[in-house]
Formats: sequence, structure tokens, C-alpha cells
Amino acid sequence: MAIAIDRRSLEPWQDPKAQPYVRIERVTKKFGDVYAVDDVSLSIFQGEFFSLLGSSGCGKTTLLRILAGLEYPSSGRIFIDGADVTDLPPYNRPVNMMFQSYALFPHMTVEQNVEFGLKQERMPRRERAERVAEMLDLLKIGELRRRRPDQLSGGQRQRVALARSLAKHPKLLLLDEPLGALDKRLRENTQFELVNLQERIGTTFITVTHDQEEAMTMSTRLAVMDAGQIVQVDTPTGIYEYPNCRFVARFIGSVNLFEGKVVERDGDEVLVETPLGRPMRMRCPQPLALGSPVTVAVRPEKVRLCAAFREEAVNQIRGLVEDIAYLGDVSIYHVRVSPGQIVEMTLANIQPRTEQALTWGQEVAMEWSPTSGVVLAD
Amino acid sequence: MASPFQNRPRPTRRASRLLNIGVPYLWLGLFLLLPVAIVLQISLAEPTAAQPPYAALWQWVEEGVLQIRLDFQSYRLLWSDSLYLASFLNSLQVALVCTLLCLLLGYPMAYAIATAPERWRLPLLMLIVLPFWTSFLIRVYAWIGILKTNGFLNNFLLWLGVIDEPLAILYTQTAVYIGIVYSYLPFMILPLYANLTRLDPTLLEAAADLGCRPLRAFLRVTLPLSRAGIVAGSMLVFIPAVGEFVIPDLLGGPQTLMVGRMLWTEFFSNMDWPLAAALALVLLGLLVVPFVLMQRWQQGALEDRP
Repeated sequence: MAIAIDRRSLEPWQDPKAQPYVRIERVTKKFGDVYAVDDVSLSIFQGEFFSLLGSSGCGKTTLLRILAGLEYPSSGRIFIDGADVTDLPPYNRPVNMMFQSYALFPHMTVEQNVEFGLKQERMPRRERAERVAEMLDLLKIGELRRRRPDQLSGGQRQRVALARSLAKHPKLLLLDEPLGALDKRLRENTQFELVNLQERIGTTFITVTHDQEEAMTMSTRLAVMDAGQIVQVDTPTGIYEYPNCRFVARFIGSVNLFEGKVVERDGDEVLVETPLGRPMRMRCPQPLALGSPVTVAVRPEKVRLCAAFREEAVNQIRGLVEDIAYLGDVSIYHVRVSPGQIVEMTLANIQPRTEQALTWGQEVAMEWSPTSGVVLAD
Repeated sequence: MASPFQNRPRPTRRASRLLNIGVPYLWLGLFLLLPVAIVLQISLAEPTAAQPPYAALWQWVEEGVLQIRLDFQSYRLLWSDSLYLASFLNSLQVALVCTLLCLLLGYPMAYAIATAPERWRLPLLMLIVLPFWTSFLIRVYAWIGILKTNGFLNNFLLWLGVIDEPLAILYTQTAVYIGIVYSYLPFMILPLYANLTRLDPTLLEAAADLGCRPLRAFLRVTLPLSRAGIVAGSMLVFIPAVGEFVIPDLLGGPQTLMVGRMLWTEFFSNMDWPLAAALALVLLGLLVVPFVLMQRWQQGALEDRP
């Protein structure tokens, strides 16, 4: 884990002098009249676990396939480790891909599948055998070596696919929904395994996923995509705590959105007037003109019960509990604060549920601090 | 048989099961085993100049004594006269060469159709099947017009200046090859097409991703995965081609020895039904053995993967 801490503390994307390892430069891909990828530029650094996150059809898979060389971009360039690979066919790229369906060769054993790429580069037999053994060992699938793909479980196939794509020691590993075909429990375990594996071997990973939780757990950084464009690139924390627009705020986790307009600036805080009545005071370092329409975004877990409610206090609000979802560790409360607005609040169940006072129809007062949310300009 | 219905064998269910199993067996017995048994019986009879031209296999010589005469003369004749062996070998050779040619021609065609854009596939398949709408006999006759000394092909080649005098193709073994390959090509293409359309294109992408150029990817992935289609197509061509009669008779020359023709001659010209029957049975045996072997091989290939 020491490597992990080291790597994360480095955060090369913060360092203006760091050279990106993978550079996507103004890449566009059109299918007919449809822009699958629309003018995307992205820098990814060596050793990163980078995720492309978005709903289906947002262009993330197309971008991954362009990196693999399976699609040719309509315009733009791709650089890997300083070299322009845009015109290289897939079989000449220092890149390997793990396919969503795994695409294991059904007529070959596990061992032959893993060996396949090495044979193509004419690696000597001895070395090849060593590498295959190393890979089978790395993914703990040594005892499956003589089996064929149809004799494996979903989790085992996933490991074989990973071993096969790592066997050539690629500079960059692309993973298309690597955990998509696994059931929920297996997926959660595999997330951590995948991260540990990546930290151990140090290969740069780029994954594509539609599962925000997966992207948050695994990635060093992630890019949220929508309609062929990148909406925001940041660390999981950055994306979650400081979304740059309503789309990102809503895409990752739940969020309460209050529309309003800026009425006053006070240092790096602004006062936002909302139709709910009292103004909200929020931290907002970015410059915003007075009177401009904004949206205040506050995550449900940052909303807390208010001990001393005062009519004139900022960031306090009152309402009636409408719905309670008991999830065991936490409960989610839907509180109606106005005919058109519900505030979602997540409270940890510190006391057993039966001991709790909050119930349906009850009036509650809630509050949050100015640093608990963001002001979005859109 | 862990069926939930196992516990209640109602009479109607038993009857329907009997019907389900019984009908195919009845069909097989009536239209396969019985005819083969009749042919076997004829092959063991003695040829006579009568109607039908063979002696009965059994007769009551006196009260309570049944005499059965099995005449193996026909089989001995098959073995002793090298003409029959030669015709068998020649049939096998023609069928084998034609199967290979069909494979070489049919594979690229099936591959092209299977990889063509979706909307092109059906029209292309229709083009393959279209000749079946014309009588087989007419299509073979048409080849006479194409191949004869003053036919389309020779005139065309003469016009091109490729040859100075007409080639003698008609009434040679070459014409037989052309005819059989032409007639049986669809039977090679259709199973191959069915097989190749099921091939997952991501497998080829994976091969490319792992460093395979297109040709190598074809040899290492597509070809081995289409083995079942190759075997099925080859059997569909090889088996009928061995016993083919019409094509060698119409397009082949007098020197074209093929079993089908031999059989016809024995049956209709020489009126030697027992010999013809023996010939037919040996041919059947020769075809069944490789069929069973291939079936088993394919079974093995199927068990290797889903």
C-alpha cells in the first residue's frame, strides 16, 4: 500500500511540469451525423487508474475503442508515451484491452488464451512459458490453465481476460466495463482486487463504466461524459464534493438542488436568495455577478437536524417528514419544505430505529453549513 | 429426468410418449431399413433372365422344409473385377477433389456474405439459392452448351485470343469436376454461412488487440472456430458426389468411371439386379463409415465448446 500512498500524494495532474502519459488531443468521432465523441481532450498520467464515467451512449466506449485502435477518430490525435499512435492499427499499439464480453477464444484453453498475445510477438518459448506462469499466478488462476472458457464461471473468465490483456505488459490497459458481467457481491470484492493489482504492477489503467460507485472506489481520477463531451475531470472526492454543474451533481450520488440568484457577496461566501424564503449562505470562490441565476447543491448527508431553529437564521429550513427509507446503517428522510420542493436528508442510525423520534408527518428543522455544498452557475 | 411430471404417468402421457418415440422409428423402419433390407435380399439372390430378374431367396422344397439360397457371387464379382474397384476409387477421388474445390470456392463466398452489411445478406443468400428454382437436369444440360467444342466458353476464349483452337472439355473428367462443383457449391456455402454469422466479431478485435494481423487472426481464430461448418458442408458435398450419376453421365466421357454410372449400367443395361444391389450396398458402406467417423469428430468438437 506504500506505493499507493506515494502515488496518490504525487498527484501528477497538480504538477504543471508533469508530462502526461496518454494525451487525447481534440478527438472527434462521427458516425454518420452523430457525434459519438465530440472534441475531447484529456491528459492521463503514468500509473493512473482513470475512469470514463457516463450513461450508455455518452461516447465513453467509443473513446476507449479509439485508444485501442479499433475505431479511427474523425479528427484529433492520440499520443501514448510521447508517440503519436493515431495511425497505428490495433496490432501495433502498445495497448491492450479487456473486452466487456471478455472475448476469450472459445477453442483455446486458459493457458493458450493468455499465451496468445505473446505468440504474436514471437517471444521465445521459454520466456513465454515464464510469462504465462507469472500471469496465471498474479490472478490466481493456475489450477484453471487446462480449462476452456465455457468451463469457467463469470468471475474466473474475468480473471482470464485480465491475465490475457496484461500478459504483453502493455503500456496502457483499457478495460471496458470490467466488472459489468459480475454479480453485485463479486463486483464489490473485485473492485478492490483490481485496484490492488493495478497498484502492484503499476500499469496505467483506463476503464469505462456506467457505475458511479465503481468509478468512485477504483479511480485516481475520473471523467464524467455526456453526449460525447467531457463534463468534468477530477478526483472522486473533487467530483463528489465540488461538481461543476447540475449534470455531474445529479449523476454522482443524490443531491438537493435549490434554484435562486446571488444577492450579496461576502468574502468567498455568497448569499443566494431562493423562492423558499430565507437566503442561503454558501461558500463560493468563483466570481459570480450579483443577480445571476445559480443553483445551490447540498448532499443529503450534509443536511443535519437543527437543534435551535430561528426564523431569521441562514441555511435553516423547516418541513414535514413525508417518506422514510430505512437502510439499516442510515435512513433517508424526504422532507417537504414547500409545495414544490422536497429536501433529502440522510441520517446515520446511531440509535436503534425504534428509539428514534422522527416519524411520518412530523415537523423537523434542518440546517447545513456554508461549506457543505456548492453554488453552480448553470 | 428430474421432471416434476415424473410422479404421475397418466395413460394419455404414456400414449403421447409412445407416439413421440414411435413415429420417427416407424418412419425410419419403413423408409430406410425396409428398403435397405430389400436391396440386401436382392444382392444375395441369383440373377435370372426373368421378371424380376433375380431368383427368390427362399422356397419351400417339400413339406416343412424351407430352402434358403444365399448367392454371394455378386460380391465376389465386385471384388474380382478390377473395374468396380477402379470406379469406386475414381468416385472417391472425384468427390474428394470436388469437396476441396467447393470448400476453396465456398469459404470466401460464405465469409463475404456473413461479413456483408445486414441488408445485403438476404439478397446475396437468395442469389446462392436461386439456381435451385430451375431444374437440376436443365442446369446440367446448360453446361453442355457452355463446355462443348463450339460452346460459349471456347468461343469466348478464342475471341479473347487466349487459345488458338477449342479445348476439349466436354465429355472429360474436367467437365465432371466443373459440373459437380457448380451443382454442390450451395450445399457448402449454406452451412458455412450459418456457422460464420454466429462468430463473435469481438473475438477478431481481441485478436487484433493482442497483436494479430488480419490474416493471422483469420487462421488462428476464424478458421478453427468454423470447423463445424467446414465438416458439415464437406459432408453435404462429398456424400452425394460419390454416388453422383447424372453429372458424369451427361458431362463425362466414356472413360469417366463412377459408381453411380456403373450402378445404372448394371441395373438397366445388363439387367443384373443382384450385382447392382451389391454395388449399392458397398457404396452405402463406404459412405456410412466416414459419416460416422466425422459425426463422432464433430461431436467431440461440439463438446469442446458450447
